[in-house]
Amino acid sequence: MSTLLEQLANGMVLGGTIALIAIGYTMVYGIIQLINFAHGEVFMIGAYGALFAFMWWLPSGMKEDWYVTLPLLLVIGIGVAVGVAVLMERFAYRPLRNAPRLAPLITALGVSVFLQEFVRVFYRCPSPSGGEPSACATSAIGFPEAFVKGGVHVSIGQGFTIPYAGILIIVVSLGLAVALQMYVGRSRMGRAMRATSADPDTARLMGVNPDRTIVITFVIGGALAGVAGVLYGVRYTSVNIDMGFLNGIFAFTAAVLGGIGSIKGAVVGGFAIGLIKTLAGQYMPGGTGYDLVWIFIVLIVVLVFRPQGFFGETERVRA
Amino acid sequence: MSPLEFTTVVVAFAVYVWLVSQAGKQATDRTVFARPAAVAGGVLTIVAALLPWATFVLNDGPYPAKSTLQFFDAPFELGGFRAHLALFGIVALVFTFVRIPGRNRAIRGLGWGVGVISLVNVLFIAINGGGIGAVTAAEGSTAFAGFLGLIAGVLLVAAGSAGGIEPIPQWPTKLPTAVAFLVLLLSFAGLLWVVAETLTSGGLGGPSSPYAGPEFLSYLGFLVGLLGALYGIGLLRWISTLSEQHRVFSMIVLLLCAVALPFTDAGTDYWMTVAVNIGVYAATAIGLNIVVGLAGLLDIGYVAFLGIGAFVAAQLSGAASAKLAGPIGEVPFIIVLVICAVVAGIFGAIVGSPTLRVRGDYLAIVTLAFGEIFRKSAQENIGGLTGGANAVPNIPPISLFDQPFNEPISAGGVVLPSGVLYYFLIVLLIAVVMLVFANLKDSRIGRAWMAIREDEDAARAMGIKTGKAKILAFLVGATLAGMAGAVFAHKTSTVAYDSFQFLESVTLLAAVVLGGMGTIPGAVLGASLLFVLPEKLREFNEYRLMMFGLALVLIMRFRPQGLVPDRVRRAEFAGETATGESIEQVQEKAVVEHEQELAEAETGPGPAAPAGGGEGRARP
Amino acid sequence: MGVTTRRITYYVPPQPSDRDVGGVRHAYPQGSDNRGDAMKGREVRNQTAKAAVLVAAGALVLAACGTNKEESGGGGGQAACDTSKGTLIVGVIAPQSGSLSALGLGIKNSADLAVKQANEACKVKGYKLALQTEDDQATAQVGAQAATKLSSNPNVVGVIGTLNSSVAQSVQPVLAQKKIAQISPANTNPSLTQGTDYATSKKRPFETYFRVCTTDALQGPFGATYMVSKAGKKKIATISDGKTYGVGLVQEFTKQATKLGAAVVANETVGEKDTDFGGVIAKIRGAAPDAVYYGGEYPIAGPLSKQMKDAGLNVPLMGGDGIFDPKFIELGGADGDLATSVGAPTESLSSAKAFVDAYAAANYPEAFSAYGAFSYDSANALIGALATTMGDSGTWGEDKRADLLKNIGSYKATGATGEVAFDEYGDSTNKLLTVYQVSGKEWKPVETGKFEG
Repeated sequence: MSTLLEQLANGMVLGGTIALIAIGYTMVYGIIQLINFAHGEVFMIGAYGALFAFMWWLPSGMKEDWYVTLPLLLVIGIGVAVGVAVLMERFAYRPLRNAPRLAPLITALGVSVFLQEFVRVFYRCPSPSGGEPSACATSAIGFPEAFVKGGVHVSIGQGFTIPYAGILIIVVSLGLAVALQMYVGRSRMGRAMRATSADPDTARLMGVNPDRTIVITFVIGGALAGVAGVLYGVRYTSVNIDMGFLNGIFAFTAAVLGGIGSIKGAVVGGFAIGLIKTLAGQYMPGGTGYDLVWIFIVLIVVLVFRPQGFFGETERVRA
Repeated sequence: MSPLEFTTVVVAFAVYVWLVSQAGKQATDRTVFARPAAVAGGVLTIVAALLPWATFVLNDGPYPAKSTLQFFDAPFELGGFRAHLALFGIVALVFTFVRIPGRNRAIRGLGWGVGVISLVNVLFIAINGGGIGAVTAAEGSTAFAGFLGLIAGVLLVAAGSAGGIEPIPQWPTKLPTAVAFLVLLLSFAGLLWVVAETLTSGGLGGPSSPYAGPEFLSYLGFLVGLLGALYGIGLLRWISTLSEQHRVFSMIVLLLCAVALPFTDAGTDYWMTVAVNIGVYAATAIGLNIVVGLAGLLDIGYVAFLGIGAFVAAQLSGAASAKLAGPIGEVPFIIVLVICAVVAGIFGAIVGSPTLRVRGDYLAIVTLAFGEIFRKSAQENIGGLTGGANAVPNIPPISLFDQPFNEPISAGGVVLPSGVLYYFLIVLLIAVVMLVFANLKDSRIGRAWMAIREDEDAARAMGIKTGKAKILAFLVGATLAGMAGAVFAHKTSTVAYDSFQFLESVTLLAAVVLGGMGTIPGAVLGASLLFVLPEKLREFNEYRLMMFGLALVLIMRFRPQGLVPDRVRRAEFAGETATGESIEQVQEKAVVEHEQELAEAETGPGPAAPAGGGEGRARP
Repeated sequence: MGVTTRRITYYVPPQPSDRDVGGVRHAYPQGSDNRGDAMKGREVRNQTAKAAVLVAAGALVLAACGTNKEESGGGGGQAACDTSKGTLIVGVIAPQSGSLSALGLGIKNSADLAVKQANEACKVKGYKLALQTEDDQATAQVGAQAATKLSSNPNVVGVIGTLNSSVAQSVQPVLAQKKIAQISPANTNPSLTQGTDYATSKKRPFETYFRVCTTDALQGPFGATYMVSKAGKKKIATISDGKTYGVGLVQEFTKQATKLGAAVVANETVGEKDTDFGGVIAKIRGAAPDAVYYGGEYPIAGPLSKQMKDAGLNVPLMGGDGIFDPKFIELGGADGDLATSVGAPTESLSSAKAFVDAYAAANYPEAFSAYGAFSYDSANALIGALATTMGDSGTWGEDKRADLLKNIGSYKATGATGEVAFDEYGDSTNKLLTVYQVSGKEWKPVETGKFEG
């Protein structure tokens, strides 16, 4: 019983991160029908950007209290992630907007590999002894634990602890999702997004600037990925450059599961994937070695039998 | 090479390429400048070839082609990149004064070649020499030849563009068969020579040839110029037309050329190993090409089929850890090949079955999921068949008529390097695969695939059984990959799950995309580039994947049809017809002609007709 | 004017722009519908590009006249060695790109250090030594390619590598065919030296293959013995990263632990790229272990240990030499965590300290990582055996290869990892292992001993 509860809690924390990334996926796909494979890398770069600023520029006085450090990390992480997302849109995807469908997808793969390697090659940590900075992104780096330490202790059965940082991820992801849902549903820009998604040509005739709308979509997606990256680092206290790819795939699966184009769906899908991963590792044959396999099997089954996901409106025909 | 040096190289390259293309653009059709610029460019190129390039002997040993040579020391000892430059300079001058059709395009090509050669050598001398001093002036000696070469490149490109880029000249193609055969024979022999030269240029690297990277890049620059010039004067198009006319003969000659490669300078056991790896990947890429290039179904988990073939072959081999070998005993390789093909084909059909319901990007994700499931299951040693993290090691080499394939053989007094039998095997395999591919492409099913690629609903409406056709595409593609996997297992002598990661699938896809989707030479060329470039450019080892990612982006942006485009693809991606004309222009021409006809029909043939057509277009 | 321009331009037939020749592309939504804007856009672009050119030119001017010219003949000031007979090459095969490059670059740099030191000390009379590194891209087929490349150079005396056991499997036969010595700093799979059936009948498959690291078959059981007999843990959970090193370690650990009467209550796998281990931790908690054994390396072990304690699972985590690294503690390794490592504690070993200092002094951009010290010892073993083979006046040739292999087999020295010598299978004879424990943010040796299987 306590194991089940603990696994549920773990799944929710992981799911919160995935949900934040999935929103970016789902919005971009909704508006330009592009699987932005590199979106996971934006998440990774958000974390690395914040960490870079933390290591190189933040005066030590600001590293003491989490309520100073965390907002700073978040702001920097969001800034870096948004910057990368916008550059990516401008230089990689925009020129291909009317190209055959394979082209942007292959570009996205290329961007993904490039960003990952870019961080690996150029990232530098200050040397503790004051020598040459070292190329440290080649393996995992510790991330500051910029939040209240400890956690809520649940004393059922053997008892377990849910770290506060994990609760923070769940709360933030739900909060941001609700806020975003309202923004897209009610604001002028949100209407423009929905219009562009439904029919770009007509939207254009109605005075919507599609370029601007698409950029805003990438900005929002990037910002959420930046938040996810920093919170992920704070919760799990280490980052590596492969984390973007893996979580990106999870997030894409989540977006599909929830119904692509739907923010609500992305959130529900994110939590569902988090839960599938932990529960499959716990209860399925093969154990934790096969948890990825179960996620992919779910993905295939959903795509084959219910491609519109939980909340997808209608089945879109994509050629 | 440090990150800073790497960045310098990339930025310098981008800036120079931009400069040259700007020069070409600005100079377009300013005929007055054409001749002076060409003369200046040609002369400068020759001068650059004769003057010193480096101010001193670099720490790693003298830079190749006697770069510190002064003109008066030994004018006739030009070698390597300096000989290439001198040749280009002379040819450019000849083109300037002799009216050869297509010469402006050729001069432009030469200019690019001169520019690239100069840039590569300037950059690498500067980097290996520790600064700009190595290519300008240091300690009393000067060397400005590199910069002369750079300027000459700009001038030649500008001259070519200024002269007016003419349509590529058509050479007579109705030749007597014997002459055509002779031409083809010569050109394929030339191709063989180019391949062998490319592979051996710069040596094997390492301390014995420290400048292998720049020498190879410089040689590529030479190829750029050479092919540019030959393309410009219409020779390449002529040869390709001839080879289309005599398809069977060309195939046979090409096969003979491939078989002849071990007898050239490239016939070392090292290049044979590389060639076999290229072959394995090329065969797999051709399989992928059926799925992606012909049927338009994006597969990004394709390496799994290679893996399935490899694991099946490993299990059937006599390896000590092979489970199946015991009860069955040793299986002849031919049968192994067939079994691998069948098993991979079955898996292909399984992976392909979601295509019945899933389309486009979603399908790509499904294939990615299958690929990852395969890798993860192999890592977890599913059913005890993959050896898990310990892999299936010590797979014995293929042995036929008591001749193990990994030993050197001697045939008629010539000793061929070890691995050459694998090479012959893979050449044979690729020949078969090509035959299958070519026949399928023009068959009923091939046309069905292409129809599905263009518009699935329309294809279905035309009576094509799209579901069956799509699964068949996966099945055939996977079969080819499975056969390649069998060779892979024996040649590599171990099969481990980590040879079949996601990145390998992307590499395969990149090979197809780089070479050109839907074509055989494209897949082979793409696979070759992706294997040969990292081997040759050890300086860039650390940046290999970064450049790989960047290359994918740039190809999709600037040349989505690939290096050897398929005709239909060219139309789709680049808006060009098979002869390289812009579709827009062709359409406009057609409209004009049509209007002319209309005008003629109205007013009768007369001088008014063209004017009418012209007016119709110029209407504000 | 602006308004009218807009009107008029609407009727101008679209001009093919410089990069968009395609008739099949539509105007939507690329760029603007207003040619004025487009022209402006291009001007801006040109301006930016001009600025870029200026910056580049400026950089060139600044860098002008810099050279690194060395006076020929001199080797940086120290007494020049006699290198009249030419250059001999020490090959390295390790990943130089991709996700394992950190370990691979450490291997390369450390071997490079050994070669440089040998050159300075004129170890091989009459020859200069040089390093040639080949990237195996962490895959078997490229590894075989690299091995063939090195083996086709008659001046390659031996090869240091590889990192991955699967790559070693494809490299071994290639090098063995040409009798080229291979010393691995990192392969832990027992079958590489003792054959596929190492458990029942040991048989050395390749005479040319040696390694300086211990196999899983030593380290796992040594750790198990300490954990069960000394620390008194009876319910142990194991976790591996699914890679050769980790899986092998866990297998061997499990065998010994069960033999000593402990129960292995859970056996889980984490993804090699994971950072979230909540699921695994919750699962093993269900089995209520009193210790966790992890097969893998520190980038995962550190955060794993931290997350265990955060989640309230306060039991020690033990691992092999893959987690014996200060980074483990940096990444979250807690007090009480354990690791086994080869040789006596490094503090008591002056040769280890000498290596660390020399490496720091050489200013390599990358850390020497987990296998740097092993790589340094491998290279020194190769060079030492080569020096013995050549004597004072020997000339290198194919006939020397057999001697070289024999001399490696009988090589003995104290290296950065302790005693370096090889047994009849080519395995390291350094069976001395030490258990370390984290206390006060530092690894402290707690027990040194030998494991006698």
